[in-house]
Amino acid sequence: MIYGDRSTGVIVTGATGKQGAFHIALMNEYARKVGGVGVVAGVTPGKAGQEVAGVPVYNSIRDALKKHDASASVLFVPGFAAGDSIMEAASAGLSLVVAITEHIPVHDTMRAISYARIHGCDVIGPNCPGLLSPGEIKMGIMPVHLSSRGHIGVISRSGTLTYEIVDQLTRAGLGQSTIVGIGGDPVIGQTFRDVLRRFEEDDQTKAVVILGEVGGSLEEEGARATDLPVAAYIAGISAPPEKRMGHAGAIIEGGEGDARSKIARLKEMGVPVASRPSEVPRLIREIL
Amino acid sequence: MKLREHEAMKIFGEHGIPVPKGFLIHSPAELGPRMGELGDRFVLKAQVEVGGRGKSGGILVANPSNGARLAEELFKKEIKGVPIREVLAVEYLDIQKEYYASIAIDRSTKQALILFTDQGGVDIEILAKENPDAVRKASLPLLMRDIPPFMLRDLLGSSPKEIGSILNQLFRVFCAKDALLAEINPLVATPHGIFAADAKLIIDDNALSRQGITLNRDLTEREREAEKHGFSYVELNGDIGVIGNGAGLTMATLDLIEYYDGKAANFLDVGGGADQERVMHAVKLVAADPSVKVIVVNLLGGITRCDEVARGIISAGVVQPIIVRLAGTNEAEGRQILDGSGYRMMESMEQAVKAAVEAVQ
Repeated sequence: MIYGDRSTGVIVTGATGKQGAFHIALMNEYARKVGGVGVVAGVTPGKAGQEVAGVPVYNSIRDALKKHDASASVLFVPGFAAGDSIMEAASAGLSLVVAITEHIPVHDTMRAISYARIHGCDVIGPNCPGLLSPGEIKMGIMPVHLSSRGHIGVISRSGTLTYEIVDQLTRAGLGQSTIVGIGGDPVIGQTFRDVLRRFEEDDQTKAVVILGEVGGSLEEEGARATDLPVAAYIAGISAPPEKRMGHAGAIIEGGEGDARSKIARLKEMGVPVASRPSEVPRLIREIL
Repeated sequence: MKLREHEAMKIFGEHGIPVPKGFLIHSPAELGPRMGELGDRFVLKAQVEVGGRGKSGGILVANPSNGARLAEELFKKEIKGVPIREVLAVEYLDIQKEYYASIAIDRSTKQALILFTDQGGVDIEILAKENPDAVRKASLPLLMRDIPPFMLRDLLGSSPKEIGSILNQLFRVFCAKDALLAEINPLVATPHGIFAADAKLIIDDNALSRQGITLNRDLTEREREAEKHGFSYVELNGDIGVIGNGAGLTMATLDLIEYYDGKAANFLDVGGGADQERVMHAVKLVAADPSVKVIVVNLLGGITRCDEVARGIISAGVVQPIIVRLAGTNEAEGRQILDGSGYRMMESMEQAVKAAVEAVQ
């Protein structure tokens, strides 16, 4: 596992909203199943004293940390508040923030990530489904029933496409070590490169699936920097230029970041690239 | 959202970037009374959001005697099919040298990327490829208030120092306006100083409301309708309507259609929590496009309730056939509901896409 394990205590920011409450319950259901610590506290300013899904709520992360042990936070706050919540978590000394929130202004993300880095805090997301280490910990909103524990790392800019691939890996008998949704925004905290570095240190992980999409060049930068066996799928071969394909970051701009050139560059590095999602398990078997 | 040149020019001017004197007109008649403000030579610039405006005759140099006639002509023109409704009239700049300056988002460093070159007035992407050394770059964390002097020295080289303060103002515009791109191309040296001869500003769609922008002009009418329902929608030019949940899965569905030699009519991501109501609206929206002959619905989720989705599909009551791939809770109920009403439910996205492509052939 990377980023966290059964012993990791988690604080949820934006706990009293509909999403926050719902996913605290699901994360703790999983924690109980695997014997983990799970979500220990929730934070919503002005809502101290309440309880959500059996978890006490505090006004701030600092207040929560006076009563509970935690090293990570998961955010469900609205877009305009998310940059602030990332910085609050970093300032309070947490080492990981998983920002589920979509529609964060990108300048807020950039400032918050710069600030978090100064405090030694890693940010996953924003606009991501979080991460899941089967049998260890779930931080975020990924459905757990499609996954199984094993040796394949998965890194993805997408949510549901990740579940699709994880489902296919599981059906093919290829369990996963950790599945990380790094987010669909143009600027994200942990990139393919950062997560691959973690997987390199992780004995459990033998090969990694990169699920990329149009926009930017983070997929190639990650694949270039690792010596782990990697296979990829890149979504958006049919995406027209200068159009945002659902994700704020999924856009071909100024002739950069189209799927064909991404795929070509990955193949030049010797990374096998699936032309359909269903080919991923076969490609992984070939590089294992 | 892309601002128009005159909007960006106004903002640049308000932030202390020297811009040419001028005003916006909405008809040729508005030019006459104010022509005196512009001097004995001026430029009429069509305000259209298409590239290559100058080459297509959208920028005309005029004088007080031919100005009225040229304005008449310009308002009758179309630039690449786009009618001209607004024209920016500005004083003529006696250009001695052209520069390029921009500030953009850099995904790799997660910082602002400042580009400067003394070879302005060109396509920066082409210049960066053909002569990368000519384009100077610097990355700046958004936690900074200004561009530090050493960075300005590196960027400018032997170019005039006063451009340094313009770059700093451009950085302030970039930050104040939640910009994805703030660009001056060209930035020009004249006998009267340095001026921004053009202005480009793209605002982050996720920051429009705090920038006081209520209507995103970059979207088509159907895209705007989709946004109201919380969908991401992009019009394409095929005949297979597509509805998915999640951007990646929806894109992968489009790609699979192309793989099997079909053509998608749209991209529609219904987003999270696809319930009966949302699915119904999505189906109706996609079906309203007259070129759509068949619709593929590909929904995968841990918490998506298949029975709800199935009811949503049926309640839309559209004429086109719909091929469905659903995975989530209550799958069996969902299948039953669909089977009873003549819609097809497939086991995998691959099967669903194949069936849809076959249906239009």
